[in-house]
Amino acid sequence: MSEGLRPDQPRIGVDEWVSSVEEKREQYRGPVGWLRRRWDEAPPWARVLVFFVPAAIFPLVTTEGNLFRYGLITLIYALLGLGLNVTVGFAGLLDLGYIAFFGFGAYTYGFLASGHSGRHWVAELAIPVAIAVAALVGLIVGFPSRRLVGDYLAIVTLFFGQAFVVFVNNANRIDFPFIGHTDLTGGSNGLDNIDPLNVFGWLVNTTKEYYWFTLGAFTLVMVLLYFISESRTGRAWKALREDPLAAEVMSMPVNRLKLLAFIFGAAVAGFAGAIYGAVQTGAFPGDFDVGLLITVYAIVILGGAGSLAGVIIGALVVNGVPELLRDPNEAEWVFYTAIVLLVFVKLRPWRRLAVVALGTLALGFVLHALADGVWERGTSGSAGEGALAHWVSHWMLLPSHPTQFGNWGFALLIAAILVLTLIHGWWRTILMIPTIWLAAFAWENLLVQQTAGATRFLLLGALLVVLMNARPQGLFGTARVEIV
Amino acid sequence: MAERKRLLELRGVAKSFGGLACLHDLDLHVDEGEIVSVIGPNGAGKTTLFNVITGVYPPDGGEILLDGESLVGLEPHQVTNRGVARTFQTLRLFLNMSVRENVMAVQYGRTKATVLESMLRLPRARREDREIRRRAEEKLSFFGQRLVGYRWDQPAYSLSYANRRRLEIARAMATEPRILLLDEPAAGMNPSETHEITELIGKLRAEGGYTILVIEHDMHVVEGISDRVVALDHGVKIAEGTFDAVATDPRVIEAYLGLQKAKTK
Repeated sequence: MSEGLRPDQPRIGVDEWVSSVEEKREQYRGPVGWLRRRWDEAPPWARVLVFFVPAAIFPLVTTEGNLFRYGLITLIYALLGLGLNVTVGFAGLLDLGYIAFFGFGAYTYGFLASGHSGRHWVAELAIPVAIAVAALVGLIVGFPSRRLVGDYLAIVTLFFGQAFVVFVNNANRIDFPFIGHTDLTGGSNGLDNIDPLNVFGWLVNTTKEYYWFTLGAFTLVMVLLYFISESRTGRAWKALREDPLAAEVMSMPVNRLKLLAFIFGAAVAGFAGAIYGAVQTGAFPGDFDVGLLITVYAIVILGGAGSLAGVIIGALVVNGVPELLRDPNEAEWVFYTAIVLLVFVKLRPWRRLAVVALGTLALGFVLHALADGVWERGTSGSAGEGALAHWVSHWMLLPSHPTQFGNWGFALLIAAILVLTLIHGWWRTILMIPTIWLAAFAWENLLVQQTAGATRFLLLGALLVVLMNARPQGLFGTARVEIV
Repeated sequence: MAERKRLLELRGVAKSFGGLACLHDLDLHVDEGEIVSVIGPNGAGKTTLFNVITGVYPPDGGEILLDGESLVGLEPHQVTNRGVARTFQTLRLFLNMSVRENVMAVQYGRTKATVLESMLRLPRARREDREIRRRAEEKLSFFGQRLVGYRWDQPAYSLSYANRRRLEIARAMATEPRILLLDEPAAGMNPSETHEITELIGKLRAEGGYTILVIEHDMHVVEGISDRVVALDHGVKIAEGTFDAVATDPRVIEAYLGLQKAKTK
């Protein structure tokens, strides 16, 4: 063994891999590196505070009702993300029926406390029942599918999710033996008139109060899940995600642990669903369809599967960016900042950066000057209000029929981006100049007019593509390594 | 040699996949404190033997006894909890967990705190967690300079190949087994590392008190560690005894090298 190892002997087992990992960590310098190291060193409670304190101060510094609403929805989505993080992030089970558990929570709460059903349970009873029902459904779905892995599990759970939507659409006219005609869900009209939460005498009524309640619920769930993730169960989940056979042979009852992960995910979703039902004062079949499933997956994957902090960031980005883009003026700033950042971060060496930046500026001014001389209509449009828009109107072509030219510009932009992915070297650098110019052209003449509609989703999609390319493991995730 | 207790005993174990008989009417025993090596050419059924013992495959017939109690029909994790731990020929670490977590995770079967207790950090969960951590560090310390402290928080994938093999052994030790099944512990190692493994296996018995059943191709290792050697070919035991006796057994030589030309004619 190593006791007899002399310093001059070859150091077998002292591998370059480790030192290279260390070196990579060292490479993060400057403010980003400082933040990274502080984050890694911070104790868990401090990390919770980093999110909790701003979120708690948020309602005190803003007065606008809409902002609370965004904050509240973001929190509910983040809570949903926490649950999905257990099944997908910790245990690695691809559960595509997840939203159904969310729905079960909302419908159960509505069934127990609404004008529709005529029952008015208090929330401290109704919410635990909603959680228990969701967990029980999780058990029922998980039990037959616990032996399935990967794609097969995904198919079964996707089917379950769709079956749920069909069920709630039709469960308003079931004939039960002995009981007779029963309305469980209100059918396609939804289960309306859901009571506001009434927790131990506290009637949660305003959006602000819901915000506080959900923030408390979220923090509680996050802390509890953190404790689990650091326990024998959490480690066993991660182990079965890494290698189910090895986990089984190493004393972990894999099937039971999978069921447990399913149940926990479902319970958290049920909790979020109960709150959501009360916030919306109704539960409607359309709310629990594939669209929301994709949103929640985007939150978890963007934040980094398996990371609790990542879920919060994911929810903020996926919910916050579309809201930020709603206002054309703000959207304009976001757009140009994003382009400038992208160019500055991604373009190396600096010679290429200079060529692209100066080239794009020059191209804009030259085209503008040419158009001034020969094509009067080409610069007669308006770029909107604000300092940035004023500056842009001296640089960008703004035809008097913006939409028509904007459409052409947009099509050309797509073509240019496709070509960009195919070529390399200096050609790519040179093509980037007209591409960026085209992007700005399409933005000014087409996209900026629809910021409340299609544009923000287009940009959100682009942002997700860029972020996932830059960090495939998610913002807070750790890169998974396979050794073959 | 004094009569020792039979720790692991296989009687007439058979396993076939379709028409291919991988193990055929196999008898094998390992006494307490003994190191037994299983050798045989590729495809002889050695790894299948391990898979059958640990419950990964149920045997088609026969009896597997650990200290007199049958292991047949148990799930793999139950077999491990009875006191059988193994390593894998193709390494199967939890690559994206830290070295320490690898060794902590496998103590699942040795701890009892329910998920609710863990969630609320109740006393038993906290006490067990401290114990898990202590035991993990104890097992890792067994490897001395090779898996030293600063590595413990690094992901398992960052370890060198030889260290990954060591971590697999540490992980198996952490399940607190009575018998260790090592599947080719020296595979892919250079001569110096192979030598180290030979010493390590001796140390595992001397200091750890484990009974060891080992599959190995490297005859130097087999010679260095074995109390007894069992040779398999086509799922049948063809020889058993001391290293010298088995290594010179004509049937073993035949299994490895084929019949001598002179004999076939």
